[in-house]
Amino acid sequence: MHAETKSPADDARPALRLHGLSKRYGSAAPVLAGIDLDIAPHSFVSLLGPSGCGKSTLLRLVAGLTAPSGGGIEWPRGAGRDARVSFVFQEPTLMPWATAARNVALPLRLQGLTAREARARATEALAAVGLAGAADAYPRELSGGMKMRVSIARALVTQPELLLMDEPFAALDEITRQKLSDDLLRLWQAQRFTTLFVTHSVFESVFLAQRILVMAPRPGRISADLAVGEPYPRTPAYRTSAPYAEHSRRASDALAATLRDAEVAA
Amino acid sequence: MKASFARWSYPVLAGVLLLVVWQLLVSGLAVPPYVMPGPLAIGRALIDERAALLHSTWITMSIALAALCLAVVSGLLLAVLFVQSRALGQALFPYAVVMQVTPVVAIAPLLIIWTGDAHVALLICAWLVAFFPILSNTTLGLRSADAHLLSLFRLYRATRWQTLWYLQLPAATPYFLGGLRISGGLSLVGAVVAEFVAGTGGTRSGLASRILDAGYRLAIPEMFAALLLISACGLVIFGSLSLISHLALRRWHESAMPREL
Repeated sequence: MHAETKSPADDARPALRLHGLSKRYGSAAPVLAGIDLDIAPHSFVSLLGPSGCGKSTLLRLVAGLTAPSGGGIEWPRGAGRDARVSFVFQEPTLMPWATAARNVALPLRLQGLTAREARARATEALAAVGLAGAADAYPRELSGGMKMRVSIARALVTQPELLLMDEPFAALDEITRQKLSDDLLRLWQAQRFTTLFVTHSVFESVFLAQRILVMAPRPGRISADLAVGEPYPRTPAYRTSAPYAEHSRRASDALAATLRDAEVAA
Repeated sequence: MKASFARWSYPVLAGVLLLVVWQLLVSGLAVPPYVMPGPLAIGRALIDERAALLHSTWITMSIALAALCLAVVSGLLLAVLFVQSRALGQALFPYAVVMQVTPVVAIAPLLIIWTGDAHVALLICAWLVAFFPILSNTTLGLRSADAHLLSLFRLYRATRWQTLWYLQLPAATPYFLGGLRISGGLSLVGAVVAEFVAGTGGTRSGLASRILDAGYRLAIPEMFAALLLISACGLVIFGSLSLISHLALRRWHESAMPREL
């Protein structure tokens, strides 16, 4: 039954389509200009660019937290405003007065679930990010990496179709960042949410993503679209492999070209 | 351990020393009690007049506490309204400031004429001075909710009520409690100052009337005793509110964290 309703044409539809998307604040130069983009369902896409290229703004537009100045966002798979979208910020952005479990339960409480139901699902989500024992800890009692795990659990507790991440690991140390990257990929493989991951790290992009969109500033636009065809799971060995180095070199070159052009234009 | 012992024992020791020196000076120099009573005379007055003094303490304390409760309710409600409607906040906040900067002593006679009941007038005076710190602190706190958390609430399409209940009120709690501690002291000041101006009579007189009355009779030790009780009321209010504040914040707020120096 279920297989019949899904024609091959349906499967080809992107999860998200941006057409001519632009954003400007007041009369200043546009932050984003004419972004055209299809995001495949269940894909892991990284937005790579220098600060000020509008990648965070792009994420906020997709989340509906800010309105576009031109163009639009389509949800070809029909979800629209009702799509389950989650957001992970650069800071963990936890409520300091609430325990980890209550932080994670927040989106469910806002949807009207009872405290008991929300608590049960929050406990599961915390276990999924390896924090089963920290349910009753307050944010101040947790390390930076653990707080970010709570933040990810809160994003995943609603079983989102689309996960937006805005430089989530930028403030963490290298070892913690690698562990969280591994765990994020594991969760992504298990739950298959579409992921848009903003970063300014070439290596993070290459390790995580199937597709890297390199962005250029003034005005913010996509300057290169690179595929990273390496299979998952991507193990720590991948970080030292020849293909990893090759992809990193290509992404670095694309980013360098972008910055060169920006300087010429300026 | 040693630090907490010092924290309690040093002030107590200093206090006892002061009392002893005071008593010795008063006795040694034979200062008459109507000029400067010694601690022993004040203690005797406390015991002799205990029934009247305790009753007056109860009157003053109940006015201060009732005013504080009124201030909490009205301050919180108005702060929430101000934050819900920026226009309303902008329209009314200047008048809240006017209420705050007008000395309560100047309003008290007018209030007595209007209310006709000295106790109601005292309550309103004490409320007027206690209300502003709660209003301004809570308004500030409600507006201090983390911007990313506000984004998150919008992303999950939280209602105004949900945003208020789950985000803005908890974020405002430390600010509110800070305002509460100031207001607790002010409500007592308001109750006492207003009673000096307004006066109360007979069996319903508070500690301020007791001081005035003792003054007319030149019962100076009794004046000191009443003064002592006012201070004690202030300490009890401040101590209780500090305890409430500590209990509410100890699990999560920076101000309640033990620090290594």
